[in-house]
Amino acid sequence: MSVPAAALGPGPRGAKVRGTLFYVLLLVAVFIGFLLLGTLIVDVLRKGIGYLDPTLLTEPNSSNPENAGAGPAIRGTIYMMVLLLVMVVPVGVGTAVYLEEYADRDRWYNRLLELNIQNLAAVPSIVYGILGLAFLVRGLGLGRVLLAGALILTLLVLPTVIVASREAIRSVPDSIRQGAFALGATQWQVVSRQVLPAAIPGIATGSILALARAIGETAPLLLVGALTFVTTNPSLLGAFTALPIQIYQWIARPQDEFRLLAAAGIIVLLAILLTMNAFAIWLRNRYQRRW
Amino acid sequence: MRITLQEELDQLEAALQEEGAHVLRALRGCLNALAHSDVELADEVIAFDDEIDAAYLGIEEGIQSLLARQTPVAVDLRLVLAILHNNLHLERMADYCVTIAKLTKLVHDVPHDQTLLEGFEEMGQRAEEMIRVALDSFRDRNAPRAESLVDLDELIDRANRRVVGHVLSLGGDPAVREWGLRMIIVSRCLERIGDHAVDIGEQTAYLVSGEFREFTDASHHDRTTPRDLS
Amino acid sequence: MEEMESASAAPAKIPGMDEKLLAERAEGRPYTSREVLFDVSSLNVRYSDVPALKNVSLQIYKNFVTAFIGPSGCGKSTFIRCFNRMNDLIPTASVEGTILYHGIDLYGNEVDPVEVRKRIGMVFQKPNPFPKSIYDNVAFGPRVLGWKKNLDDRVERALRHAALWDEVKNRLKASAYSLSGGQQQRLCIARCLAVEPDVLLMDEPASALDPISTTAIEDLMHDLKREYTIVIVTHNMQQAARVADMTAFFSVEVDEERDIRTGILVEYDETPTIFTNPSDKRTEDYVTGRFG
Repeated sequence: MSVPAAALGPGPRGAKVRGTLFYVLLLVAVFIGFLLLGTLIVDVLRKGIGYLDPTLLTEPNSSNPENAGAGPAIRGTIYMMVLLLVMVVPVGVGTAVYLEEYADRDRWYNRLLELNIQNLAAVPSIVYGILGLAFLVRGLGLGRVLLAGALILTLLVLPTVIVASREAIRSVPDSIRQGAFALGATQWQVVSRQVLPAAIPGIATGSILALARAIGETAPLLLVGALTFVTTNPSLLGAFTALPIQIYQWIARPQDEFRLLAAAGIIVLLAILLTMNAFAIWLRNRYQRRW
Repeated sequence: MRITLQEELDQLEAALQEEGAHVLRALRGCLNALAHSDVELADEVIAFDDEIDAAYLGIEEGIQSLLARQTPVAVDLRLVLAILHNNLHLERMADYCVTIAKLTKLVHDVPHDQTLLEGFEEMGQRAEEMIRVALDSFRDRNAPRAESLVDLDELIDRANRRVVGHVLSLGGDPAVREWGLRMIIVSRCLERIGDHAVDIGEQTAYLVSGEFREFTDASHHDRTTPRDLS
Repeated sequence: MEEMESASAAPAKIPGMDEKLLAERAEGRPYTSREVLFDVSSLNVRYSDVPALKNVSLQIYKNFVTAFIGPSGCGKSTFIRCFNRMNDLIPTASVEGTILYHGIDLYGNEVDPVEVRKRIGMVFQKPNPFPKSIYDNVAFGPRVLGWKKNLDDRVERALRHAALWDEVKNRLKASAYSLSGGQQQRLCIARCLAVEPDVLLMDEPASALDPISTTAIEDLMHDLKREYTIVIVTHNMQQAARVADMTAFFSVEVDEERDIRTGILVEYDETPTIFTNPSDKRTEDYVTGRFG
């Protein structure tokens, strides 16, 4: 059967135009996004570059912008991240393992649990702050301490870690479990020796991303008592502050120099965030399994 | 690769060669019985045929099972089909030996012609040689050697044709005449054994080349000497 | 003058057939010299009240290769998974009836499925090596069982039995995924063998493999059956014909009203019989390919 050359030629013009238009609109959207982000970053860099020096990183806050630094704030942030990691990973991964490997989906309490986890991820962070104030600071009598801050951040990012861990565990093919069971392994052996090791890259990536989000949280920390003027080093049950809080405080000061200082603080914060995210992405790419 | 198939093919071939060895023994037995009018020996030959029949059935069943289960192709398939045919040829040869033995028993007490008997011994040896060549060339997949069976068969055929003339010359004694007629059948049996050996040779050629071809075709054969109707 | 020996009383040798079986047959009592390893009685399997397998009874013999064949949906995979209690992992599955293994009912109350699976291994349709090194794959079973000593020896022995040692002995630390499909399947077999089971269950072990790998696996089964008892499920009946000593043919019973398809055992006999002269017409229709 012969096909006239014309039948294979270019199609109707209308469809082509629409296609090109769509492509152009996509480019515009990307451009706008990058433009806004770029403007922000450039502005911050211009303002803060002058104040990027060791003083910023080590000295405590002071009323003199020349001597002011974010030392305790940075140390407080790091301390909290470590605590966060230690608390959120076991609880989050444990919950994920329970839901994926052990829970019987037909049971009402398991379904309730799943529903609540999804809800928790959507709660605004300020609500967590209020929760922390009421139950941890006042109810448990912890007071306005670092531990309370870390605990509340744990609750905040827990749903994220659970979801990421569940995804990682779910991505382990069932054939691996079947193979392990068929060799006479108990359920615990299957989970601990096959499923979890295979899911670690995904869990690690999810945890780091959760951490990165937590670093920038300001509202709950404010409510739980992060002070803005702390000169001492952070301790578990002592007064504390965090980098976002410090930045917020500097911006609120009347002197203009403090705003520049704040910009410098933002640069530090962004640098930490970028590093963490980059690490998470590298981890994911390096260890991602193609099943 | 395909250990099972190879093992089974080897076993089938070994069984066929063993059957061939039995046939040779049966032939030697019936020839000796004929030469010495040994009735006891003739009986033994007849009884021995049961063993050959059992071997025949065993190979038949083995082939059926192998074809159903292993679905051999190419040279393996040709080997199985060749064994199938040769199995039948060997069994027919054994039946002819039994016939010779029975005839021996029938006329054991009748005077015989020594010349004819010596002739049969020679024909018999020719037949034995043909069986050996047929089995060996099958085992060795030697097609040219298999084709040489045609010439050996020619000798038996000629001897067979001479027998009728010889029997006619034996004279008028009815007993001797009866003996003579029976001996014509014996001669025919030996000639047929030779033909079956040639058939085995044809299977060897088929196995090697994949083409089935008769070495000589009786219906198209051109001859200068008058053909015997035996 | 050569003496002729009389026809012997020994049974005719059928080339390719086991001598012991021939002797039994000659004496008119087939099967009795065989040792029964599994005795299945009235086995029924349901998935949430839908019957998947109905009333199956048969015996599996030691050191035999037994094949289950039949059209799709006839329950043969469900059946083989009953032998190592893998159906326990499916919440909706329920099993009634008994399977006696060394005289013990596998579904008895005091029986621990984990213990069962240590003695009855399974190889799956799609090779499923663990995301670990070749060595760690084979060593997983022994480690789980607590066999920490002589691990190297065990791994080597298992790989040799699975006809894989020569191909991997210089790269035991390489990832299992660096092996070809056929090699991965043999690795899975080695993995099973490392825990020294009695029985190897194989659910369509070669259906995901190319023809040469398939032949390698079939030859392997021929070797392995000297020490192990092998049960295989295959949808390729020529494969069953090639490797199995005994073959069981399953078919599907359809309940039109309730639209339910249930598996039943139609015929179970020696493989040559199934493929040359089966007793049941349904079997004959299936093996001759006249089945719908």
